[in-house]
Order: sequence, then structure tokens, then C-alpha cells
Amino acid sequence: MIPRSAGRADQDFFIVARDIKYAYEGGIEALKGVNLRIKRGEFIAIVGGNGSGKTTLAKNLNGLLRPTSGAVDVAGMPAAKMTVAELARFVGYAFQNPDHQLFSGTVDEEVRFGPKNLGMIESEVAKQAEHAIALMGLQGFRSAQPLSLTLGIRRKVSIASVIAMDPQVILLDEPTTGLDAGETTDLFGCIRALNEEGHTLILITHDMRLVAEHAKRVLVMAGGRIVLDSDPAGVFSDLEILKSSKLEPPPVTLLAHRLAESRIPKDTATPEQLVDRIVALAGGRR
Amino acid sequence: MTGFVDLYTEGNTFLHQMDPRVKILAVIFLSALALIIGNLYYLLVLLAAILLLLAFGRATLSKTFFALKLVLRVMVLIVILWPFFNPTGSPVLFHYGIIKITEPGIIHGITVAVRIACLASVWYILMFTTTQRDLVRALVKMGLRFDFGLTLSIALRFLPTFGAMVESIEDAQRARGMEFDKGSLLKRSRNYVAVLVPTIVSALRTADMLSLALQSRAYGARKDRTYLRDLRMRPTDYAALALFALTIALPAFAKYVLQVHI
Repeated sequence: MIPRSAGRADQDFFIVARDIKYAYEGGIEALKGVNLRIKRGEFIAIVGGNGSGKTTLAKNLNGLLRPTSGAVDVAGMPAAKMTVAELARFVGYAFQNPDHQLFSGTVDEEVRFGPKNLGMIESEVAKQAEHAIALMGLQGFRSAQPLSLTLGIRRKVSIASVIAMDPQVILLDEPTTGLDAGETTDLFGCIRALNEEGHTLILITHDMRLVAEHAKRVLVMAGGRIVLDSDPAGVFSDLEILKSSKLEPPPVTLLAHRLAESRIPKDTATPEQLVDRIVALAGGRR
Repeated sequence: MTGFVDLYTEGNTFLHQMDPRVKILAVIFLSALALIIGNLYYLLVLLAAILLLLAFGRATLSKTFFALKLVLRVMVLIVILWPFFNPTGSPVLFHYGIIKITEPGIIHGITVAVRIACLASVWYILMFTTTQRDLVRALVKMGLRFDFGLTLSIALRFLPTFGAMVESIEDAQRARGMEFDKGSLLKRSRNYVAVLVPTIVSALRTADMLSLALQSRAYGARKDRTYLRDLRMRPTDYAALALFALTIALPAFAKYVLQVHI
């Protein structure tokens, strides 16, 4: 058994990646040297074009892929010495396609599968499952057959089945693919609640609007490297790096850039900010 | 995974350019030849000819070995075991209790092994010089119903996709703390349900979407189809076909009509 918290580094950084490189079997180098330190409770978005290395990086953090060179520490311990199952109690990973994860007869059983694999005792399994179901707002679906539910709900079930293992870090790979605006807002309400509970969230996405609204730190990836690591304001004021990383900033940001001559700051990322700043500029109060 | 399913090797030799229908027929003729020849020496000549064809097709040694590895093992087993189970004829080389080994027994074992080598390598020629698409096209041209041909090519086309999907599903369950190689056999097979169910469900969803995609492109609108790339026999194809037909016709005539022992 590995203790839930150990070591000194744990207190500063929960995940430390040192110069990790990863090459797939065909010889394609998907990560060309990534350094990354993640604290507990962060809300990070990893953005970048297709093939920039986002998913490869994420899989190197939970042991599904092992770096070809370099090292990853999780919870102050070298990840190389832990199996994927042992890492699963620290770093949870919700896959892009929920149908690759769901197999049980009921939502309840589905959510219990992970914690049971980790060897939790029955009462703990029940507690964690209950908590995960409540967090994702799935109370009404406990005895429903997961595969018969809509995509939005299936995605929530797959995330619930990961958080039931109570990992400190939760990786979400493109969680909004195929969801409508209502489902997306709903899902992000749940995701924010997870972050407020103290979980570290790492979100892989193409949706810059979501990044603007939710993330507190953004990693821009291109060609297997992190080309920018900053808060959203820093990312949205740099149109060049977004463009060269095949990313489209939210419309509000583009508008702010055009309004820049009228002293609207370029890092404006959400409609609320834009309104506040225009009102402030006009000398009024909102 | 892909390499295992698809043996095709890019190339521009006369074997690659030959009409796939001729190749299919040639392979059938040469297989029949390997089956009617009983004499070890003639079989060795046939094997040498087939290996020569392989060389003409620019087959690399390493890839050929990879493809025929399993067959090689079977051949070794046959050569070793055959004399023990078929101790007929004379002279008897070794006799102890129920164990008896005869010279014809040994020769027969080698003959069967060489015959298997002929069959395997002749089919390998077809597989490594013909794309799956051309194979299916040839079968349809030779009278296979188009929908069967389409099913076959879709099945072949989706094997690698399917492999990638299973890998992703295994990863998804491993990330949920599942361990494939721990626990009793019962526990392991019960664990595998967590991979099997999503695999079947995803495959059914894919099949469903695929059938819609086919229908939306007017699949089945007309009984008679036209083809963008039709197969045409060239004079060299006819010549090759005639040549291969002779290689089976002459020995068959000799064996069954003239009663020559071959």
C-alpha cells in the first residue's frame, strides 16, 4: 500500500514532470521535453491543435504511457515505481469517449467499479460512490442503465466513476465534445464544484471560451512542447502564439484587440470583463 | 496489429501489376499442383520455383520470415513426428517395442512439410503483392455478390480501427484501477467483461453509423453497378494465365490420363 500523502514535495507540488520526452512506437516524438509543476487545487487547461501532444502529456501523468526519458513524480513519489492502478488513486482520467468506459448494468454499479478495484472497504465504496453521484447531479439515474442515457449524462457518469476513486487530480479529456450549450454549462457547474472541493483539475480542450471562463492557468502546447504557461490573461493578450498554435481566441478577445486603441485591455476574455471595462472607461459604475 | 492483418508490401514488380484475378487463379493452380505431386524431388522443384517468384516480387527475407514463422514451426513438428505415427514400408531403420521408424515414413514426413511450405508461400505471394481492395474487387468481378465483397472489405478495413478501439478501452479501464494480470483466472475473466461490453457496444454504434453512411450515399439504389476503376486484362495477363494453366494441366494430364507417377 502507498500512503495517501507522503514526502515533502507533496506540500509544494503534487505533480512534477522533469524534461519528459515520449516517442510512439512508429518513432513519432509526441513530447519533446516537457517541464511541468502542478500544485494541489489548481484549475489548468491544456490547449493546442490536434497532434500537439495534449493527450500524450496527460497519459504520461497517470502512467498509461511511460516517458521515454525524463521523470514524473506524483504525490512526492516517482510515478515510474507505481502501476497504473496505484497511480489511479492520485490521478483520475476521464476519457473523451464515455462509451469506452461504461459497461455496468446500473449507474450505481458503474460508479462503484473504480473504488472496488482500489480495494476500498464496502462502507468507503458506498460513501465515495454516493458523493460522486451527488457531485455530478446523477441522483435520479442511480438504477438507470448507463448505456441507455444521453451523451451528456453518459459523460457525467464516466466522470463520476473516476471521482469515486477520490483522486487528488482529475484529468478531463475534451469533456464537452458533442454536448450542447445547456449540457456544457451544466457539466461545468459540476466541474467547478469539484475544483472548489480541493481537487486539482486538468482540462484538455479546444474550446477557448471554456478556458477563458473557468481555467486559472493555461498551458499552450505546440509540436510536443509547452510554448506558453500562464494565466488566461497572459494567453489571450498574445494573439500571435494562439494563432501559431492553431487556436482561435474567443470573439470577445478579438473584439477587445480591435478596441485596444480605445484603451480596452487586450487580455479581455469574457463578456462580463468587456462590459466592466467599457463601463469603467466611460466613467460609470455597473 | 496492422502489419499482422495486412501483409501487402508496396512494390512495382510484374507480380504487383498482374491482374488480381490471374493471381488468384494462379495461386489456386499452384496449390492444386502442390497437392497432386507425390514425389519429394518434384515438390522441391516446385518450392524452388515459388521461392523464385517471391524473389521476383522483391519480398524481403525478414518480412517473409515474419509471415511464415508459424508455418515453419508446424513444418518442423511434422518432420519430427510424422515418422513415429506413419511407420509404413521398408527398410525399417529403428525398431524398439512399439516404436518403429521406416525410411519411407521419414521421406513422407518431409514431403508433407515441403507441401505445406509450397502452399503457404504461394498464398503469401498473393497476399503481399495484392492490396486488400484489389483482392475484393477481383472476387466481385469473378462472381462474388457485391454486398458480400463490400462486407469483406469493410471487415478488413475496420480491423486496425477495432484494434485501436480495444486499446483505448483497456486504457480507460486501467485508469479506473483495473488490473488485467492480477487475481485468479475467474476474477480476470470477470474483469474482462469491463472491456468486452464497451467493445461490443462501440462496435455496434459504429456499425449503425456506417450503415446510415452507406445508405446516405445511395448504397443499393441500383442492382447493376458501374465501377470507377474497372479491372481489365492486358495481353500479358492472358499470357500469364495461360502459362499457369499449363503448369497444372500438363502434370494433371500426365498423372490421371497417362498414369505417370509424379
